Amino acid sequence: MTNLAADTARVKIAVRGLDFHYADFHAVKNIHLDIPERKVTAIIGPSGCGKSTLLRVFNRIYAIYPKLRADGEVLLDGENILDPGYSLNRLRSQVGMVFQKPVPFPMTIFENVAYGIRHHENLARVQMEERVEQALRAAALWDEVKDKLKRSALGLSGGQQQRLCIARGIALKPQVLLLDEPTSALDPIATGRIEQLIEELKRDYTIVIVTHNMQQAARVSDETAFMYMGELIEFGDTEKIFTKPDKKQTEDYITGRFG
Amino acid sequence: MGNEHTIKSYDAELARLTAEIVRMGELAATQLEAAIDVVERRDERAAQRVVENDDAIDAFEHEVSHDVVRLLALRAPMARDLREVFAALRIASDIERIGDYAANVAKRSIPLSMVAPVAPAQGLQRLSDLAVAAVRKVLDAYRDRDAEKAHEVWDEDVELDDAYTGLFRELLTYMMEDPRSITPCTHLLFMAKNIERIGDHATNIAENVWFAVTGEPLQTPRKKGDVTAEPVMPKLGG
Repeated sequence: MTNLAADTARVKIAVRGLDFHYADFHAVKNIHLDIPERKVTAIIGPSGCGKSTLLRVFNRIYAIYPKLRADGEVLLDGENILDPGYSLNRLRSQVGMVFQKPVPFPMTIFENVAYGIRHHENLARVQMEERVEQALRAAALWDEVKDKLKRSALGLSGGQQQRLCIARGIALKPQVLLLDEPTSALDPIATGRIEQLIEELKRDYTIVIVTHNMQQAARVSDETAFMYMGELIEFGDTEKIFTKPDKKQTEDYITGRFG
Repeated sequence: MGNEHTIKSYDAELARLTAEIVRMGELAATQLEAAIDVVERRDERAAQRVVENDDAIDAFEHEVSHDVVRLLALRAPMARDLREVFAALRIASDIERIGDYAANVAKRSIPLSMVAPVAPAQGLQRLSDLAVAAVRKVLDAYRDRDAEKAHEVWDEDVELDDAYTGLFRELLTYMMEDPRSITPCTHLLFMAKNIERIGDHATNIAENVWFAVTGEPLQTPRKKGDVTAEPVMPKLGG
């Protein structure tokens, strides 16, 4: 068992013996991992190590493809989300996801945020406006877009688009926010804004971030998981991982000695 | 340090840092030997040269600081690399202090050479032999990243402290016996204290080597050998 629970915070997501297959390819191998509530957990590792796959299992985004199979358990607040009885609708309202490339819908800024809410809830216009504003404020975008809510979201800068996607994610009031390389397409200033936002959001949400940028993992996360070839090699306190990791593979990766 | 970085120039920069520290340390050890030598030879001009040579050690320290800042800024070292770079900065500052103390000993040898020789000057030699040995050994430990050897240096400092306490008592006895010896003995006392401090810096270096290699602080309680600052004075005259 590589179940290296990092500290005493409440466990939000408990991964138990998780395996994932892309047809014949065994992408994630027997992972045990406790993701603490209202903390930022970073998943790092070289390309193809299974980190994005692991993240995607957390909201079952793979479910739309045949031949993809997850075995084991992923317990969100104790309930196994891999259980077919756990509805996707319910899961997506609890676990939001933001991707590497911002994907604003080709509609107004307002509608981008309202769209998801409408899918799950029936709100009166005033309440809807409040919810959209809340979400945009929480995503630190409100001041920049409040005067152009009716304009197309496609006119926003890359960094603004990414914050809009985060707003869209948190508009559903999820418990968990999954970020898959959220800043890799952004410039350093936009990246800094997102990182600051992550720090603010962790007060209310459990955040899991996949990143190739190790400095970013070190800056924003409380816990870090290092994966290699589908296995969880080491998981623990971010400070420890980046100053004195226990495993040589972790050390080699974070110090740039790989391969 | 095991396998190499994917970026080769990073390895070269870390190796350069180590080499600078080793050379700097070697220079400090040589300075200390030269300082003791001029005390014995009562050679004022040679003493002056030792004092001037200290500039070279200071220059090394600047070079190390510059390289450390550069590595931190451009390479963003992590884990063991980070500890190495951090330790290098601290070790360089300890070596710089060792150089200062060696220069102080040389400086004091000038007024000392102007008065009649006193016997306890011999005791200084033994003290400095121990200090030089500690400095050289800890530099070897640094060069080889040998945590155990560093720990030995750390343990052995108690011998230097004992030797210092012994010399301290001897010097006090001389001064009590013959007030004319107070001037030279006071100089010798300061020199002895300087050399004892060099031992403390060698133990600091040992702690940093230990930290760089193991990632843990070296902090088991150590016996303090220097008891001359205790409220009850050591018994005089044996």
